[in-house]
Amino acid sequence: MRLFRQHPTEEADVRPTLLGVVTLLFLLLFFLLSTSSGQRLGVIDLRLAAPGEAPPLPHSGLVKSVRLAVAERTVTIEFEVATTDIAAASESRELRRIDVPARSGSLDGVALAEALGTIHSIDPGQLEAEVHPDDDVSTATLLDVLDAVRGPTAAPLFPRVSLR
Amino acid sequence: MKRTLFRQRPDASSVGLDVGALAPMVDMMVLLLVFLLRTYSTDLAPAPLNEPFALAGTTADADRRGGVELLVSAEAVYLNGQRVAAWEYIEGSGVIDPLYTLLLQVRPKVRAEVHADAGVPWRRLERVLQTAQAAGVEEIALVGVWRGP
Repeated sequence: MRLFRQHPTEEADVRPTLLGVVTLLFLLLFFLLSTSSGQRLGVIDLRLAAPGEAPPLPHSGLVKSVRLAVAERTVTIEFEVATTDIAAASESRELRRIDVPARSGSLDGVALAEALGTIHSIDPGQLEAEVHPDDDVSTATLLDVLDAVRGPTAAPLFPRVSLR
Repeated sequence: MKRTLFRQRPDASSVGLDVGALAPMVDMMVLLLVFLLRTYSTDLAPAPLNEPFALAGTTADADRRGGVELLVSAEAVYLNGQRVAAWEYIEGSGVIDPLYTLLLQVRPKVRAEVHADAGVPWRRLERVLQTAQAAGVEEIALVGVWRGP
């Protein structure tokens, strides 16, 4: 015995539903284009040294300090590396220097990122870097350097950047 | 003999409303919306009215968090959209007095966002940052145009 009577089913027409979705998407698109701008902004939080502020205490890892002297087209990276075991009673340090020359008349961002990556690989625990721009360095160059020093969001290099 | 110029289709009402044609259209619209939501911003960048101004590019993707709006162009300094002083009158070093005086009156001033033209040299930008710091602004951020990772 059958409890439920079977009705012959009709295939539903999905076209009105799809048309509704398309209309809604068109409205959303129009709303987005009218209320937004194609220029998305990014923000870099700065850490500025206060007047008379003493330099930070040396980092306990291998790379003691990282300092970038920024000119309009070139960057010189100076970093202090401990050449003895970090637990040794008396520690000796070596100041190393990497020059990033200009490439095609502008700052070589790739070489700068590679140099900073090399220093980061020596001591991934060092998160601080000091940036010392020349007076004539443009904001565009400064932002390029800050981006390179901070590294990509997924794998940051030196996220705590001080401008001095 | 009557000659038909156009061939009649069996169901003329469904032309152009085929499900197979609408589905890719919906997909395309969704992709377009996702792209726009990812790249477009509702935060319009402030810019001076009567002079060229272009923000520098950055890979930083942090969003704006508000605060005092400082705009540094090649010609002048602006505070919350109001022109404070032209560079030709405030060249030199140290704190920029007119900006410092106005910043002291601003409440609250926990955070400041600096929109600087790409060509502004550090000696000028540094003075603006120093002035903000001297006036008691605790957090200072530099704003640029996001150019992707």
